[in-house]
Amino acid sequence: MNNNSYNPVVRQCFENPVHAGTVTSGAVAYFEDQGLRIRLSANVAGGTVTELRFRVWGCPHVIAASEVFCRQYEGRPAAELEQFDTEHIMQDLAVPVEKTGRILVLEDTVRSLRAAILDRQSKTRE
Amino acid sequence: MAVATDLIYLDFAATTPLAPEVAERMREVQANAWFNPSSNHIVGRKSAALVRFAAEQLASLLNADSASFLWTSGATESNNLAIMGAARQREHRGKHLLTMRTEHKAVVDAFRALEKQGFDVTWLEPDTNGLLPIERFAAALRDDTQLASIMHVNNETGAIQDIAAIGDVCKRHDVVLHVDGAQATGKIRVDLTALPVDLYSLTAHKFYGPKGVGALFVREGTPILPLMFGGGQQRRLRPGTLPVDLIAGLGQAAQIAAANIDADLANLERLKGRLLAGIQEVAGLHINGPEQGAYPGILNVGLDDVEGESLLLALEPLCVATGSACNSRSQEPSYVLRALGRSDREAQSAIRFSLGRPTSTKKLIRR
Repeated sequence: MNNNSYNPVVRQCFENPVHAGTVTSGAVAYFEDQGLRIRLSANVAGGTVTELRFRVWGCPHVIAASEVFCRQYEGRPAAELEQFDTEHIMQDLAVPVEKTGRILVLEDTVRSLRAAILDRQSKTRE
Repeated sequence: MAVATDLIYLDFAATTPLAPEVAERMREVQANAWFNPSSNHIVGRKSAALVRFAAEQLASLLNADSASFLWTSGATESNNLAIMGAARQREHRGKHLLTMRTEHKAVVDAFRALEKQGFDVTWLEPDTNGLLPIERFAAALRDDTQLASIMHVNNETGAIQDIAAIGDVCKRHDVVLHVDGAQATGKIRVDLTALPVDLYSLTAHKFYGPKGVGALFVREGTPILPLMFGGGQQRRLRPGTLPVDLIAGLGQAAQIAAANIDADLANLERLKGRLLAGIQEVAGLHINGPEQGAYPGILNVGLDDVEGESLLLALEPLCVATGSACNSRSQEPSYVLRALGRSDREAQSAIRFSLGRPTSTKKLIRR
């Protein structure tokens, strides 16, 4: 039996990925694993994430999860990226358990983005 | 054969709808001939006659002896019965078996089970177009090779193997040849009198018959051991009360297929051409499988920059497949496409269009 059902949140995010794209001259994080590619980019000003974008080669659940992430953290303090966790995304998107690994790739990419932002901030201070 | 009007179903390789005449035939049998065909009374014999008639209808489609068929629950069972039954029966002849990496899961898993039981299996690789060169097949034979299983029409790519040539080689080397004909039966001309095949699997639901019934052609003089034991029906090779209504449905579907094969093929060639013309300008598109000579009802393409499952969702209400329908719950890339030399990413970006008798140009153009 096919376990790939998509709840309304997944469908809405998949059909309206308003945060799909790339930020020019921003912090960038890229991860390739589990057969998918995720690229996150962000502009930060005054400690706030002013612009957050994603590019994904992957399944609808990962695309939707990336869109949800961007919607939640754009406009928020960059420090809050530390709080990103996949549990609520797995629940909100009803991600099939066999895709857990893919959502964890998103988590790794977010961590990497946070590190890239901190790196840019410390270089700016210098 | 109506499908909900907002859907465009292009997954006929997965399954087909019941032809109206088949549904009607089954209703008749369910109402008037529901008796056990093994019963030795007047109405039991009536049901038995219907089973024999269905065998004759199938035999006409495949140009075979009607007494050569064993009724099964479908191609998966037929494949298992053929492979396990023949390999074990001929164990004295040798323990080397041949098959391809691109076979259906029902065949692959049967061979894997035999490997665990001590048989030695050679998994043949096709060329990048999915076809098996006869030289590669012949070179793999050993003195102890006793069974080969090669699919006729590949369910993912539409590649048609040269079963006649493979069968000739098998005959010269005393190798039993089993062919999974699930995607060929009722779709291309299959002549089991001319083809040097010993065992041939088929299932009704791929050619507008009911799900839950299939058959295994067993050429006279090809011994196999049964998988099941019980009431002694079907020469004790596949016991169990026969589902007369399903078998009658299969027979009716076979009769319809026999009358429509040439027209169906011509229509599918035309539709495939239209489909290809419509999508081939898409950047990064490539065909998985033979460019020429494949079964026209199946077109497998890959798109470099789009993952298959996402493409599937984006194409709704178009109903197509990524990989084999029987593997659709798996998150792994198609092992068939991997065997053709595609990378994981290329395999995951593939979608399979499979056309059928109800497919119309109007629906193809709409999308």
